[in-house]
Amino acid sequence: MDSQTAISIKGVSKTFKIYHDKPLLLKEKLLKLRSNAYTRFYALKNVNLEIKKGETTALLGRNGCGKSTLLKLIARIMRPDAGEIRVNGRLSSLIELGAGFHPEFSGRENIYINASIFGMSKKEIDAKIDDIIRFSELGEFIENPVRTYSSGMYMRLAFSVAVHVDPEILLIDEILSVGDANFQKKCLEKIESFKHSGVTIVIVTHDMGTVEKICDRAVWMDGGTIVDQGEADRIVNLYLQHMNQRFVENRKREYQLEQAKKAAEHAEEASEHTEPAPSDLKKAEPVAAGEPEEEVRWGSKEVEIIAARILNDRNEITDIVESGKPMTIEIDYKVHKPQKEYIFGMGFYTADQTLIYGNNTEIGRLKLTEIPPTGTVRFRIRHLTLLSGRYKLNVAVVDGYHRALDFIKYYMDFTVISNDKAVGIMSLESEWEVPSSFDGGARSKHEVCQRGT
Amino acid sequence: MIADLKEIWRYRNMLTNLVRRDLRSRYKGSVLGFLWTLVNPLLQLIVYALVFPYVLRVNIENYTLFLFVALLPWIFFSSSVLGATTSIVSGANLVTKIYFPRLLLPLSVICTNLMNYLFSLSIVFPVLLIAGTTMSWHVLWLPVVLLIEFLFILGLGLIFSALYVKYRDIEHIMSIVVFSWFYLTPVIFPVEAFPEWVGSLLYFNPMTAVITSIRNVLLYASPPDWPWLLYTFICGSVATLIGYSVFKRGEQTFAEEL
Repeated sequence: MDSQTAISIKGVSKTFKIYHDKPLLLKEKLLKLRSNAYTRFYALKNVNLEIKKGETTALLGRNGCGKSTLLKLIARIMRPDAGEIRVNGRLSSLIELGAGFHPEFSGRENIYINASIFGMSKKEIDAKIDDIIRFSELGEFIENPVRTYSSGMYMRLAFSVAVHVDPEILLIDEILSVGDANFQKKCLEKIESFKHSGVTIVIVTHDMGTVEKICDRAVWMDGGTIVDQGEADRIVNLYLQHMNQRFVENRKREYQLEQAKKAAEHAEEASEHTEPAPSDLKKAEPVAAGEPEEEVRWGSKEVEIIAARILNDRNEITDIVESGKPMTIEIDYKVHKPQKEYIFGMGFYTADQTLIYGNNTEIGRLKLTEIPPTGTVRFRIRHLTLLSGRYKLNVAVVDGYHRALDFIKYYMDFTVISNDKAVGIMSLESEWEVPSSFDGGARSKHEVCQRGT
Repeated sequence: MIADLKEIWRYRNMLTNLVRRDLRSRYKGSVLGFLWTLVNPLLQLIVYALVFPYVLRVNIENYTLFLFVALLPWIFFSSSVLGATTSIVSGANLVTKIYFPRLLLPLSVICTNLMNYLFSLSIVFPVLLIAGTTMSWHVLWLPVVLLIEFLFILGLGLIFSALYVKYRDIEHIMSIVVFSWFYLTPVIFPVEAFPEWVGSLLYFNPMTAVITSIRNVLLYASPPDWPWLLYTFICGSVATLIGYSVFKRGEQTFAEEL
């Protein structure tokens, strides 16, 4: 390990035994009264990682990917089963705050206990106690027993001690959610000041904003192995794209299951009541609960919308779509009484029922005078440009005088997943141009990433 | 091992803080506060001092003092061993959350009890003086005897605290063992009260030499029972070495087992 390396992790594996029925008593262990069977769970599999001095590194990954285990191994709370971890420098961990706090003792006394557990000597604590108290913003409460503190005060005190340890290497696990917004800002500032003074920081967080803001490098972990590592920006984008994809897949599966279940129920009901088909539609309609039905759906029903659905870029029925990709809306209709002219339309609403976008066959310069008695109308979107969020789909058919034949204001909810981190409801293909401080002519460009465009 | 000792030295401030916390928290909120440290053995003493001479008609000269000087180091032994055994488990919220030398947990329990014993000496000496006991320079051996007792307790504490993490029966087993041990140690009776063959066997109990030696230096103005104290010292060293290796092995998985 050269002198520039702060943490070197070589071939580290860690397994946990998961007992199906954990025998805790000696008798049980000896007599095997309970099953002694366990499965080995690999929390980490042959992980190799080098963290350089002064670098701020984020560990990313979903729950159970092994990032917290890795942090605990670096902190020496646990030991690896195989491999080697070497740490070069004084280490402090913000993994768990308030270690050893005693509720009956005052804040001041607890500072001494807590700081000593971090390995500080009495002299060091004496020198810093005023800073610690000031940082915690506890004021005169510092002389009260900790049991009288609110959870926010408790965390502030604990965090305050932890950041005054003067570490060379700092491990942080998901603790940036301490206290109110002001204190959080202060914590982030403190961490940034550590970073500037050359402290090596390893941070586990789910807040990508923090990662992009303060981290130089990111390590993406999954299933106990490192998937990818590199510059924070690049890894965060890759990770978010991956997570979006997963989310979409999961939701699609759920939706399909739900639809299958509904179809099964449908078939059951139909066989029981043998009602005419159109009335079944209402039951299957996913309309917002509590809303009176006439507000959601109206019209003469001379032409009826039997069903509508959203298809994704692979023509799969779904209620979740990815931004930047094609999307299709299908409307199945049935003509009960022929009309002189038909106009089919669709619209997107936000969750608070503001219209975002609407289009119909008339706007699309189609004059429909004669259509088959049943059929399907399709509205194809080449690139969906909505931002992430939940939206409502509206489908309708009206006659040539815009008299409602069948108007379903909120047919279904659907979710859009976007990799564009812009705020609002829609994505624009865009870039920023700012004056450069060197020659005024060079352009510093930051393109808005949008998948599929 | 030397690295471990160095590390414990670096963390000595944590040790003193843990001991202080334990000492202070035990009686925090009670009216008598720290006096309970003294009242507790005193009450035990009164019970024994009434039961044995008056109910059971034990005829030992100066029985109250005889019992008094022996009971306190025994309480140091029993509460240290029992406390150290459960120390890792009761410190679970520290062990699973932060790194520090784990040896500090049993060590702090033993130190806390040692402090309690030392505080109780502030009653022992006045009582001895009032009762007219002759003091001799042999009393200066007391720290040595206590150190040997400490070593023996440390050995047991290390072994059982590490094992207790995995085998929770140990707590119950230990309380029975310590209870029986009390009657196999000449605390309430002198060695001579036992049949001769039992009496000679009693000396193989490492605590016998500790108790008789403390009685010698405090009450009888005579030197400690050096040969048997040496035996206790050897037992203590062996127990500590075994305890250290058991503890070191167990330590690897503490955070997972808790």
